[in-house]
Amino acid sequence: MTFSQQFLSIPPFCFELSTDVPLVSKNIRNIYPQSVINSSDCPDYFFAVQYGNGLRRIIRPQARFFSDQHEPFKPISLDCSFALLEWGMNWCIATQEMRFVIVHAAVLEKDGKAILFPAPPGSGKSTLTAWLAFHGWRLLSDEMALLLPGSQTVVPFVRPICLKNNSITLAKSWFPDARFSTIARNTHKGDVVHLSPPAHSWENNRVPAQVVAIVFPKYQQEQPLTVTQLNQAQAFSALAENAFNFSLGGQAGFETIVKLVEKSQCYEACYNDVAELEEFLTQDVLPYANI
Amino acid sequence: MPISELIVVIYHGIIPEHLTLSQWSQIVRVLRHQQCLARLNWRLQQLGIDIKSLPQFVQNHLKNAEIIANKQKHQVHYEAKELLRLLQPYTAKLLFLKGAGYSLANNASVGHGRTYSDIDLLVDKASLPDVEKELALNGFFAEDLDEYDQKYYRQWSHEIPPLRHGSRGTVLDVHHNLVPLISGRAPDINLFFAHTQTTELGYTIFKPAAMFLHSTVHLFLNEEIKHGFRDLTDLGLLIEQYQSEEFWRELVELAIQSNFARELCLALRYTNKILGQDIPASVQTLLLPYLPGKMALRYLDFIFVRVLRPTHPVFSDRKDQLAQFLLMTRGHYLKMPMPILLKHTFWKGYRNIATTLLGSNFWDKAEPDNNKDVVGRQ
Repeated sequence: MTFSQQFLSIPPFCFELSTDVPLVSKNIRNIYPQSVINSSDCPDYFFAVQYGNGLRRIIRPQARFFSDQHEPFKPISLDCSFALLEWGMNWCIATQEMRFVIVHAAVLEKDGKAILFPAPPGSGKSTLTAWLAFHGWRLLSDEMALLLPGSQTVVPFVRPICLKNNSITLAKSWFPDARFSTIARNTHKGDVVHLSPPAHSWENNRVPAQVVAIVFPKYQQEQPLTVTQLNQAQAFSALAENAFNFSLGGQAGFETIVKLVEKSQCYEACYNDVAELEEFLTQDVLPYANI
Repeated sequence: MPISELIVVIYHGIIPEHLTLSQWSQIVRVLRHQQCLARLNWRLQQLGIDIKSLPQFVQNHLKNAEIIANKQKHQVHYEAKELLRLLQPYTAKLLFLKGAGYSLANNASVGHGRTYSDIDLLVDKASLPDVEKELALNGFFAEDLDEYDQKYYRQWSHEIPPLRHGSRGTVLDVHHNLVPLISGRAPDINLFFAHTQTTELGYTIFKPAAMFLHSTVHLFLNEEIKHGFRDLTDLGLLIEQYQSEEFWRELVELAIQSNFARELCLALRYTNKILGQDIPASVQTLLLPYLPGKMALRYLDFIFVRVLRPTHPVFSDRKDQLAQFLLMTRGHYLKMPMPILLKHTFWKGYRNIATTLLGSNFWDKAEPDNNKDVVGRQ
């Protein structure tokens, strides 16, 4: 068993990863650019992805994730090992990084203005994220928006976009040249593939952005674009529902969310065509936002 | 200087110059593993160190830990209020022990930045059935245990199986004594009930001397020490804040009465050896008859100096691993008479062999409900 050790500098954090699972190393080299896989001697967190022990190494092999000495999840089948690492990263940051207010949301920026897309699973958030990231928007985050307390500033945490089930085929047809991870089959989310965002997002992964709008996307197959403006109370409660560490942050978390809602345009957008939604964002939201 | 020594120096408020970021990264790693980040943050501030003078990297992690610890303290106050309301009608005694007790104590330094995974309660044994029933009615249930473990708890232990709250996830350990009955070391619990105090908010906790002795017993009769440095600094902080003639007198008396004088000797020995805590000569004289012999002490030093230092498995060498192993055998030996220990070892050994062959999840009863417990995986 040989463990390879590498550092992943994914601003604002640095991780040390050791793994004996070749599938993990292979996906990392494919998904993360060279600028991220570098040498650092100051990791914030220490991860390991390794084979399950005992006979499970041979019969239906499994992968296990460790955050330092702690194993937060049950082992998972080996083909999901890279996805396991990505979820492990989410888990670690969501449970440890209390100096940020963390919202379960995608964040994309254009013309220096960022839009927050908080949404529960199944709302088509990641499909929308992928589309925007490959159409001139800069990805700051696919799943976890890191907000600085008391501000509208989002700190980028650029990582691959997590695509599920039907959206995998869709994304592969949209962006045939993009870099996709191997498929993790039959996870609790169904089939999962991670998609590397374009170079522009990676190159600017230390540049924060100001949130000007909060859009709750809702994919509905039969419905053409319908946008509803939300009042502040509606937006607040919807956003608080998607905050990971809202209760931990206490007062600071609460005030940050309140301020964010007060200063942002808030919409719910039902859509069945991402291009149409993108047009609305570019023409009707961004031009009217002041930073 | 090894990382563990650096950490002790920093714990005393001396920040060595020229520490590299790589060293800081290791220090943070060890302290997080020892659950001591928030404690160090609080202590450095108490000692007048400007946290802002530390590298940004260190500040980040201290800040994170501080927020988590504060939140936990709030949570414990919430749970304690609820437990008091629920259980007071059913039990004459209701004490909050260890971590929860420290958090609830009026401004105890040991309670600042102290984190823990469960709330420990002490009730009188007669009221256990009622207490358990009332807790179940209010959402606290035992997790699935196999028959062997059930029997272990009910017959031999000093506590009932851990109870978890269905929605809040809070874990309660309900004790009726401080030490497993099977060990033959369980004290007359009334000796300890005589050393309680009530906090401003109405919670019952041990007085500092009994608090110290309970911490001591817990640490030195255990077969496994995960957060050795945290537990040792608990002892150090209790002495620093509460030492007085009365404290020492009560401590030595209670230790002798309850037959824990030997453990007290060890506690004082290692707070002195590792943290440099001064122990009054008069106390040492009183305890002299209970001090283990020279050979025994060499053996105990080998174990405890290693497991109570701020260590981390990644930095441990063969001697550290041997110390852990000796600690385990010693702890089991102290806790169980030989026939039962053999039976216990056989049963646990059988499970371990099966685990090695079949994988560590062989014993799990069902597929986990992944959606419930994991943030970010929904």
